[in-house]
Amino acid sequence: MTVENPPEKLRVAIVDDEAPARTLAREYLAACGDVEVVAECTNGFEAVRAVEEVAPALLLLDVQMPGLSGFEVLELLGREVAVVFVTAYDEYALRAFEVHAVDYLLKPFPPERLEQALARARQRIGQPRDARLEKIAADARPPGAWLARVVAREGGRVHVIPTEALDVVEARDDYVCLRSEGREVLKQQTLTELAAQLDPARFVRVHRSFILNVGKIARIERYAKDSRLAVLKDGTKVPVSRAGYAALRPHLK
Amino acid sequence: MHPILAFRGRLGPYLAAWVPLAGLLAGLLRIGGVTWLQAAILALPLAVVYAFMCLAAWYPCRSAPLSKASFAKVVVTQLAAAGLSAMLWLFLADTWVVFLEQFPAFAGAGERFPHLVAVLLAAGVVLYALAAALHYLLIGFEEARRAERTALELEVLAREAELRALRAQIDPHFLFNALNAVSSLITAEPAAARTMCLELGEFLRESLRLGGVATIPLAEELRLAERYLAVERVRFGARLRVEREVSDGATTCAVPPLMLQPLVENAVRHGIAHMVDGGVVRIAARCSGSRLHLTVENPVCPGSPEPHRAGLGLANVRKRLAALYGSEGTLDARVSEGAFRVEVMVPESRHPAQ
Repeated sequence: MTVENPPEKLRVAIVDDEAPARTLAREYLAACGDVEVVAECTNGFEAVRAVEEVAPALLLLDVQMPGLSGFEVLELLGREVAVVFVTAYDEYALRAFEVHAVDYLLKPFPPERLEQALARARQRIGQPRDARLEKIAADARPPGAWLARVVAREGGRVHVIPTEALDVVEARDDYVCLRSEGREVLKQQTLTELAAQLDPARFVRVHRSFILNVGKIARIERYAKDSRLAVLKDGTKVPVSRAGYAALRPHLK
Repeated sequence: MHPILAFRGRLGPYLAAWVPLAGLLAGLLRIGGVTWLQAAILALPLAVVYAFMCLAAWYPCRSAPLSKASFAKVVVTQLAAAGLSAMLWLFLADTWVVFLEQFPAFAGAGERFPHLVAVLLAAGVVLYALAAALHYLLIGFEEARRAERTALELEVLAREAELRALRAQIDPHFLFNALNAVSSLITAEPAAARTMCLELGEFLRESLRLGGVATIPLAEELRLAERYLAVERVRFGARLRVEREVSDGATTCAVPPLMLQPLVENAVRHGIAHMVDGGVVRIAARCSGSRLHLTVENPVCPGSPEPHRAGLGLANVRKRLAALYGSEGTLDARVSEGAFRVEVMVPESRHPAQ
């Protein structure tokens, strides 16, 4: 006699800052078979920690949350977990699909709609990762707006760095190193990608491997015939290439 | 604004009206004893110059407006101005005659001039009076038009407030979330779900009703804000805390309806909703120095991505205050020490008892 293994349960984490919304999601999920709620998170920081600790396969993710928006959570976690957005705002739908969210549920929604989303998620989870996911970060920015803060994570810990506090960004292989207030944080992203998201009035790519916050420059020193050094207010020295200096010059008074 | 110079198409008719006056002047001079040719050559440039001089009647008209200045002040001011203009004009006329005398056609005109002085003075005073009357008329006309426009603007703004109230019904940020919360309460806490439906219904009904009213006692506006907060409290739970500090005298003050509510809504949507641990919305109202001070304060998250959005609702309130109270109604919004604070000041007036 053969015993069939029960189908593997879908591990879901609910992320919403409003308690009634979490209650509702839990109630709907309880009615769907083969689903296990492995975490309930009240904000994006908890969601990142939950993904690190209990590894859900799917996030039911609210968009408007304090501290870390749903899109920022997706930027940090999109490579590891499937995401279904749940929100009252329909204006984010297009963006949600651009960043490859599995589905987009509008509050209030009927249980059938959630079941549909779960079915899609199961399909998506079975498939190999989409290469385009690499582009998530670049798309996670609202159109026409420059980043106000950069988010990065180390394991379950999230760093939120307001762009005005950012000193310099350095490319390191597949990562960028964000330096701010004397600390360094690594983020998996290319320098070119990040450069495209930062306000060009405040951030200049001064070198193949460096983006500089213009407001943090104390002075520019000549270093060799065609290269210079930017000395920041905190004493950090950053190489400036010839092309970089040309780009930087209009910003210097 | 000058009622003639500031408007395109008014200077032309004004100058045209001076043509028959110039003719009349020439006729008077003829009677004064000069030939027709001399009269014409004298009168025409003098009329043109005086036409422009009389545009200055605007200044005395403005300093002694008919609607505010006493009758005596108007008469004295205008008589002085008329005398001054006529004298100045007479001086110019004299200069003109002296200049013309060197031509043979005007030989002897200088001797006739003393006979013309009385005529010119009288004409100068009368013409000035006509110009002053015209200025008063046009100023009155402009004032009436402005009053009409202000009334119209007020009406439009009141209608906007009404529309805003209507919009609260279909506001995705508020109503969808509230419905979702109701939907979640239905199974777990049916009584709470019912209470929330009632609060929501009352809030919508009240906002619609108040949209059509000119002013309401502050107490009513506070009650409306309270209903709104009751609905939001179900969503945000302990994250949304409210502190109220309303002096007794303030509750009976008259305020335009739906003025406080958008400020409270802003505080929740752009303040509390962005705080991980929530925070306190402080509502304060007090009367001092014959003004009603209303403040709404909320904590702000430093890295909040959308502080500018709050500006739209505030701009609307500010516009309404300006239309209703002029410079007496002010709205001041500022961020300091991690808190966003909006202060509204309006003249204190009691709402008639109901």
